[in-house]
This record gives sequence, C-alpha cells and structure tokens, in this order.
Amino acid sequence: MSRRPGLSPALGFGLLAAAGVAVPVLTRDSYYLDVATTLLMNLVLTLSLRLEMSTGQLNMAHISFMGVGAYASALLVTRAGWSFWGSLAVAPLVAALVAVPVGRIALRVSGPYYFLITFAFLEVLRLFFNNFFVDYLGGPSGLVEIPRPHPLPLSGGAIGFAGKLPQYWLMYALFLLAAAVLIRLEYSRFGLVASAIRQRDLLAETLGVDIIRYKLGVFVLGSFFAGLVGVFFAHSHQVLHSSDFGLEPMVLLVVFTVIGGAQSVWGPVVGTLVLAVTSELLRELHHYEILVYGAVLMVVMLVCPEGLVSLPGRIAHALTRRRDAKAAAVGARVAP
Amino acid sequence: MLLELRDVSKRFGGLHAVTGLSMTVAPRTIHGLIGPNGAGKSTVFNLLTGVLPLSSGEIVFKGARVSGLRPSEICRRGIARTFQATTLFRESTVLDNVLLALQLHAATAFVSTLLGTAAYRDRERSARARARALLASLRLLDLADERAGNLPHRDQKALCLAMVLATAAELVILDEPLAGLTAQESTDTMAVLRTLRAEGKTILLVEHDMRAVMGLCDVITVLDHGVLIAEGTPRDIQANPVVIEAYLGAEESRA
Repeated sequence: MSRRPGLSPALGFGLLAAAGVAVPVLTRDSYYLDVATTLLMNLVLTLSLRLEMSTGQLNMAHISFMGVGAYASALLVTRAGWSFWGSLAVAPLVAALVAVPVGRIALRVSGPYYFLITFAFLEVLRLFFNNFFVDYLGGPSGLVEIPRPHPLPLSGGAIGFAGKLPQYWLMYALFLLAAAVLIRLEYSRFGLVASAIRQRDLLAETLGVDIIRYKLGVFVLGSFFAGLVGVFFAHSHQVLHSSDFGLEPMVLLVVFTVIGGAQSVWGPVVGTLVLAVTSELLRELHHYEILVYGAVLMVVMLVCPEGLVSLPGRIAHALTRRRDAKAAAVGARVAP
Repeated sequence: MLLELRDVSKRFGGLHAVTGLSMTVAPRTIHGLIGPNGAGKSTVFNLLTGVLPLSSGEIVFKGARVSGLRPSEICRRGIARTFQATTLFRESTVLDNVLLALQLHAATAFVSTLLGTAAYRDRERSARARARALLASLRLLDLADERAGNLPHRDQKALCLAMVLATAAELVILDEPLAGLTAQESTDTMAVLRTLRAEGKTILLVEHDMRAVMGLCDVITVLDHGVLIAEGTPRDIQANPVVIEAYLGAEESRA
C-alpha cells in the first residue's frame, strides 16, 4: 500500500516486543507482573476490537467471545480432561465458531442497530453464563477450581506455570502472536479494504467487495483473539464469573480503544497503555476509577476526537500553519 | 449483445419508477440514456449494478443473468459504475483509491497476505504499477499522494473514472460524467471516453449536456416517466416528435 504517515509497522511492533521483555527485567514484583499481564490481555482485546471497528462497526459483544473461550477452556480441561495446551488451541476456535452465526445475524444491520443487537447478545450471553447449566458453568457463585496452565513438557524437563513470571511470559507470547497478525493485516490490503468499507460501504460494494463476507471474516477473527485471551484468563484467574464478561469491562475496552483512537492500529495500544498507567497512578482513588476514565474520555473527545494517537499529527499541523501564517505576514509586509 | 434488459420494472410502493423496460447495449459502443428529470435513469443504473432489487423482469450480461446478484458479484462479472455525486474514498490517497478499485474484486488470499509471501509481494508490485499507469493516462499521476477529498472537482471526476477502469469491467456505467466540468474539461473527458471505446470498452452513460450526448453516443435510449419512448441514433432522436414533446412538456411543467 502507499506509504502512510506515522509509525512504521516493524518499528512499532519491535518497540512493543522490547517493552514486553523489559518488564520482567525491571521488576519481579508479583504485583507489577500482575498489572503487566492484565495489560497484555487488554491489549489483545482492544487490538482485536479495533480490527472490528476498522470496518466502521462497534461490536458490544466482543468481550462475550472472551467469555466463550474462557468457559469452553475451563470445561474442556476440568470436564473432558484435556490438557491446557490442547484447550489453548481449540477453545479460541470455539469462540470463532460461535461468532459465525452471531455475526451473520448482527451484520444484517449496521450503525446503531448493530450496536444494539450486539449489546443484546452481550447481555444474553452473560445471563446464560449466570443462569443456565449451573452444574457446568457455576451459576451466580462462579466457576471455580480451574487449574493453572499445565507444565509444558520439553526435551529434558518441563516449564511450570504456577508462578506469576512464567504466566507473564505465556501471555506475552500470545500477545506477540496477536499483535503480529493484527498489525500485519492493518498494513496489508485488508487494512485498506477495511478503511474503504468504513468510508463508503456502497462504493466498496460496487467496486467488488463482498462487504458482508468481509465484515463476517473480521468479526470471526476478532472473536478468535478474544477467545484466546479468555483461555488465558480462565487458567490464570482460576475463577470465572459471568460479570467478568458483562457491560462494565466491555465499556472499559471501548474507552481504551476510543481514547487511543480507533482509526489507527496504534490507537488501542496507546489508549490501553495510557489508561493502565493512569489507573496505577490513581490507585488510591480505586472507587472513582470509572469516573476518571469518563472524564478522560470527555476531554479526549473534545480536544482530539480521533484519539490520542492523532495528537502528534495535529500539533505538527498547527505548527506548520502558524509558520505559514507568519511567512504570509512577512510576505505581506515585503509586498508593495 | 453485451447487455440486455428484459421487461424490467421497478416500483417503490405505489410509484412506478421504471415500467416494462426492454433495451440492449451492443459491445464497443457508447450508449446514452437520456430523459427529463425523474425519468428513471438513475434507477436503471441502480438496478443494473444490483444496488436496488428489480420488481420484475431480468437483466442479462454476456448471456448470463445478473439481476438478483449482489453488487460486488455484478462488478466481478464486469459491470462497474460511477455515481452521480463524485463518490470516492475521500480520506485515502489518490493512489490508494485506485489500488482499492484494482484489488477489491481480486481474490484475497488470507495466509499469503499474512506471511507476505513472494506471490503476495509480486501481486502488490504489479498492482501499484497498473495503478500508476492508469493515473498517468488520466493525468493524475502528480496527485498520487494527495488525499482524494482534497482534489478539485475535475480531478475527482477523473479519479472516479480511473477507479471504474481499474476494475477491468467491460461495461462502464457513468452517471453524469460531464456534470460541473468546463467546456475544455468536457472535451477532454469526451476524448478519453472515445479512446476507451476504441480500446474495446462499452460505455453506458446518463448525461444532461445534450450537445455532448449527441456528439458522443452511437445509440441513445430515451426514457420518460420510467417508460422507453424512443431509441436510435442521435440523428433519429433529435428528429423524433415524441422526444421533443417529452422534453418540451417537461420544460413547460417546470416553468
């Protein structure tokens, strides 16, 4: 594709990968490792949510597919006796499979109707986790005693995943996989087509894109990555509640993504990082966290509606304009 | 015949936008579709490209039925269009607009894209070369890295044409290709359209500039109130009393 301004994909990915390695070098404190692990989970969730938003649709049920992956993996491991590693490969596919009929129904409409349908699905699935198959899904008291990831057998030993550090590395590996795929797609023709659909879906369609099929593909892929995070979440938290996959965490994902900027693949990265740091700095104010997010969201929407990631470009633009204005003023003075 | 409409009708509730329209478009011709405002010209274009479903009748392109297909499939079969209002991907660059049109209909191989295989890179490189050649032929190459939304009207029109050509469609449908252009720009565009015909394209167009239509078209179909009232060469049409009546009548009622 033609060159776009901003971070080159390889450099951006390299920075993220390096930052991920730096965390355990800088600290072994289990609290901070926990924070960093959660951050990586959120990054995969917001990056995949943004993939879906790049065609112009906000899927409010994104986190439900994390739930599908999480519950599916918990059941495969505790009930069917699967190894965590088998489940890690299969449970995200279950989430993707569930996404096919849901997407087929939801994508018949667009705009606010799509938002409402996916929102309804979010609630339906949350209630399903909460009230149905209580013996299997744990009901309102949650699904408990989910085992940690099993040791990974290697030639001459095995890597255990009981501690925070190996769990961090596992999530880091999953994050690298997801980020590589999602960044790569953004800078390929897929990203270009997504932006075409977002800008003018009718024109894209008359130029030959099967937009329903394309949107469905994006929906299923996004759900796959949400399911992948779900598997990790289930086995690192070891407890699942239906509320983990409800409106509040979903709204947070949207806030992270929108504050960073949904137009760019780097937007969710910036938004998730900035808000993770903010929330750490304001740890004392824990109960007001959501208020702070709300305030930040309002300020960002007023100051730069395309998200924080658009800020450097806007500043540069403003500076050039000022310089041009100055030059024009000088020119006017010189002119007879 | 390249394109054939068989007894095509379109109703919007009680409004009969197009009624029992049968017409054919011969390959390698410039075919004009004219008529007073509200005659149903744009509706016909929307039916041809699958943007609107037919109420009855059928449309056959290269011997195969295309009515009922999705717009994307119709494009892949070889019918592409511009819109009355200049419709572009305004936030994307001029080059990206053409690349999109070049690639949108191409099969998108997910895995080779992801891995950036040699085949993928070759395809990208040849697409860029074709896009640049197309832009050069329409004198847009200097603007390749501009945002499409920033172009002057004339260049936006030319870009719309470049995009339609990029799809490699055999039948190019143009909705008012000359609207808003100066006399010189119109003349240039008409020259481009004649070149396209010489290169083997078939063009179906709606245009209000009667002098241009008469000078450009091989065959003209006249619609009034959704019904075909005349068809023939420009000379036939200009002499046809029914056509004159329709236009003069329209003038009177407008006055």
